[in-house]
Amino acid sequence: MSPFTCAREREVSDLLHNGHWPQACPADLRDHVASCRSCSDLVLVTGSFQVSRRLTAELPRLEPAGAIWWRAQLRRRNAAIEKVSRPIIGAQIFALAMTLIVIAAIAVWQFGNWSAWFADFPGTLHLGALIPPSFSENGFLWIIMPAIATIALLSGIVAYLASEKQ
Amino acid sequence: MSWESIIPNVLAGDSQSLAGTAPVAAMDNEQFAAFYARSARSLWAYLARVSRDPGLADDLTQEAYVRFLCAAHPQDGEVAARRYLFKIATNLLRDHWRRPQSSSIDDVPEHTFAAASGETHSDSVAILGPAMAQMRPRDRQLLWLAYAEGYSHHEIAQITGLASASIRLLLFRARRKMARLLRSGGEA
Repeated sequence: MSPFTCAREREVSDLLHNGHWPQACPADLRDHVASCRSCSDLVLVTGSFQVSRRLTAELPRLEPAGAIWWRAQLRRRNAAIEKVSRPIIGAQIFALAMTLIVIAAIAVWQFGNWSAWFADFPGTLHLGALIPPSFSENGFLWIIMPAIATIALLSGIVAYLASEKQ
Repeated sequence: MSWESIIPNVLAGDSQSLAGTAPVAAMDNEQFAAFYARSARSLWAYLARVSRDPGLADDLTQEAYVRFLCAAHPQDGEVAARRYLFKIATNLLRDHWRRPQSSSIDDVPEHTFAAASGETHSDSVAILGPAMAQMRPRDRQLLWLAYAEGYSHHEIAQITGLASASIRLLLFRARRKMARLLRSGGEA
């Protein structure tokens, strides 16, 4: 026998859970329950909880089963889509990272050639022939003029897009 | 390109085509509806009585069923499925208690629940509310599972995650305290 239970507690518990207490309980067991603290606790607590369970179970206004079924389907679908999306996003990040690395590597490798090419660029296109002598004396205008031209071009594009939207 | 073209039936919720993605559901809609009708009220009663918060019981009942349907639940009959459902609900309750809250679950006044339940049918049941309020949440769980649901110590261990050997002692102490509270009219 366990130090926490009475030897006859199993009998009492079976009667309680089968709904046979107290009508179908033998007289000797009923006498035992009256004198045994452990068994009387069991009867009191089980009786209270069983009645409480019956009464409490009448209370809820339950959501329809179909709504819960639909919500579970939705969650499973979202989980499936998320699981499929994860490797695709990973592959995209990997591809982007590899592209940046390759570009950076080429830039470092070819830096000397590109800087020389950019330095020779005006001479290659003979741009000096298109610029008046006064401009070529002032190197600052080389920057100002293309900047003004770019702003004018972009302003035209923005004005066109704005009118297009309206 | 749509997901439907990548994975056939993914948008139809066909779990058979997603082996390893979502567990295979053993229940169809009608089977679930029947299982829900048989088990939902007792699950709600468990959650409401242990948490002492009917609103929380509403939320956790729904969440427990959704998780039950999404998980690979036991295939060996309704008793095992029901036990698994109670285990999910118990974990949800535990998660709720672990989350930081503006007020403790023990601060919820018992009369809120008692008023909602209209439990004036029986003296012992009327006393049960205040008595439950004086028990620790874990003791409320153990008592309800053992004496309202009739689960064995082994089943309670499976549901709560506690060691089977400690259930007997914990339950003995909780029952003794509850009996004392019931005899004294719910007063400590």
